[in-house]
Amino acid sequence: MTTPLLEINNLHASVEGNEILRGVNLTVHEGEVHSVMGPNGSGKSTLACVLAGHEAYEVTEGEIYFMGQDLMELDADQRACAGVFLAFQYPVEIPGVSTKFFLKAAVNAMRKYRGEEELDAMDFLDLVEEKAASVSLNTDLLDRGVNEGFSGGEKKRAEIFQMAMLDPKLCVLDETDSGLDIDALKIVSEGVNKLRSEGRGFVVITHYQRLLDHIVPDYVHVLLDGKIVKSGGKELALQLEAEGYTAFEHCGTECCCG
Amino acid sequence: MTTMTFDTTCFEKLHKSEAWMYTNVSPLANIEFAFDAPFLDDACISEYDIAPANPFVVLVNGKLHAEASRLVDGISINEGHELEGTISSRGDSVIPKLECDTVTIENTTEETIHILQLVTGKSAVAASGRVLIHANHGQMISVAETHVCTGDATHLFMPLTEIVAESSSNVTLVRAIRGSKSAYQLGQLHVSQDSSSNVQTHTITLAGRCSRHEVYAYLDGEHIESNFDGMYMLGKEQHVDNHLRVEHNEPNCDSREFYKGILDDNAKSVFTGRIYVKEGATQTDAKQTNQNIVLSDDANAISRPQLEIYNDDVACTHGATTGEIDEEAKLYLRSRGIPSDAAETLLMYAFLNESLEDLADDEFRKALTDELLMAMPGGDFIRTL
Repeated sequence: MTTPLLEINNLHASVEGNEILRGVNLTVHEGEVHSVMGPNGSGKSTLACVLAGHEAYEVTEGEIYFMGQDLMELDADQRACAGVFLAFQYPVEIPGVSTKFFLKAAVNAMRKYRGEEELDAMDFLDLVEEKAASVSLNTDLLDRGVNEGFSGGEKKRAEIFQMAMLDPKLCVLDETDSGLDIDALKIVSEGVNKLRSEGRGFVVITHYQRLLDHIVPDYVHVLLDGKIVKSGGKELALQLEAEGYTAFEHCGTECCCG
Repeated sequence: MTTMTFDTTCFEKLHKSEAWMYTNVSPLANIEFAFDAPFLDDACISEYDIAPANPFVVLVNGKLHAEASRLVDGISINEGHELEGTISSRGDSVIPKLECDTVTIENTTEETIHILQLVTGKSAVAASGRVLIHANHGQMISVAETHVCTGDATHLFMPLTEIVAESSSNVTLVRAIRGSKSAYQLGQLHVSQDSSSNVQTHTITLAGRCSRHEVYAYLDGEHIESNFDGMYMLGKEQHVDNHLRVEHNEPNCDSREFYKGILDDNAKSVFTGRIYVKEGATQTDAKQTNQNIVLSDDANAISRPQLEIYNDDVACTHGATTGEIDEEAKLYLRSRGIPSDAAETLLMYAFLNESLEDLADDEFRKALTDELLMAMPGGDFIRTL
């Protein structure tokens, strides 16, 4: 059996002393798309932040393995270099440095980490043009400050563009659909779908089923009160949409089918 | 070598006055300054000659260095005479003026005129240096001044720059304080503007043990635009005091003061921005902003935006922020593979670059960006991008 891309065992995590995750188990193999759905406050974003290495979140119990490596031993930047990418729910604005400049720093930091040669200016710009086109992102935006003055849709497209640029093994999308209208949702989803491949896995965190019409998952997990209470195929998302999260409140781990 | 002949006791109790309360220059009272020490180092002129294709004026200890200069029509040097009718007498600055050459710039060349003022000597030297920029109706003048004290002696440099912007003229002045971290610099900038003129000044402090930059501006016509910007990056025991007074004397003028800086170790910055709106100067739009990042617990940023308004119908705003490096932004950069120290450097660079981006002169911006990055830990990483 191949080593899973991501293996989370009994993960407990707190922020400022409050326990948010209370024993999450999740295994993602290469090529799979997993959706984690849950109501507000269920711990969805906490899970994303813990995977990315946000220092404000403390892991109190459990383990996370990324391609067999203990993820907890890596800092946020090392995780990114190893191939973990988080598309933020609220991407930060950084005036004073352009997205191009920042991404060149990122691309080259990763190449250095992997012992590869740094990209020269021409190759970098070619890559930018190609990947920006894949999410219909106007490259003029990339000369502005990072995310500065971007609309909600532009920010999310820029996140997927960065994801395409950095070519990660595991993509974690934290409520990428929030704040998007139908057209933007389509563009972002198409961008994500283009990145689906045999060697890459996705954890798509969302509140609503509508994103999953466009990014069709292989597995759906319901996160409630810091635990995955039910797992299933893509039809589970439809059930959730029809019945609401309350229908799952009494699910114990025993009814998990994942 | 002539030893000093000016009275330094004026520095003794200066910090007891309101205008100087955060800047103590009393140590200057105990220093015996030389006036006219010989020039020591020729190599450093070429080091600071950042635009070899542009006109270049070099003053050493307040005197023209003719061989190193590239003068063009429109630049004249007056030896050691006080100019009549200067605007500096309108302000209430108490900084002494020593005898020195005056560089007068009065032409319409589109290229930036670079001025290097060096203060140098084995022992402590006191010097002034004067620059008068006079833009006639509709003219456009761009000047870049670099002020450098060399060596480790406690030099005292007291430069004086005056800008007279007649109607519909456009003047850009950038000043960078570079070089020694032991020197004192007490500088004055006086600006008088007539209707529909546009003046932009930018004062960048990267050196000096203690620097005070006074700006006095007189907006004497309507529809004037003025930007008085500044930036600083200091560490150790360095101190900078940006002290501004902008007078709106007529209606319908816009002015902006935008100062930002990074302070490490025990460094301290003082920002005092006074907007004065005269009775009848309606539709005045004046903004003051001072933003600081402090990197250590002992660094100190003091912001004093001040408004003095004798009029209704004006929009005067001020804002000051002082904080640490934004951890959320840092995490964002790290989540893209950028190591922690490089992420901090990138954020510092971004913060200051917001100010540097406004510099119109490419060579000047490049030279300053290089110097900034050299002073930052991990700056090499950004320079390779």
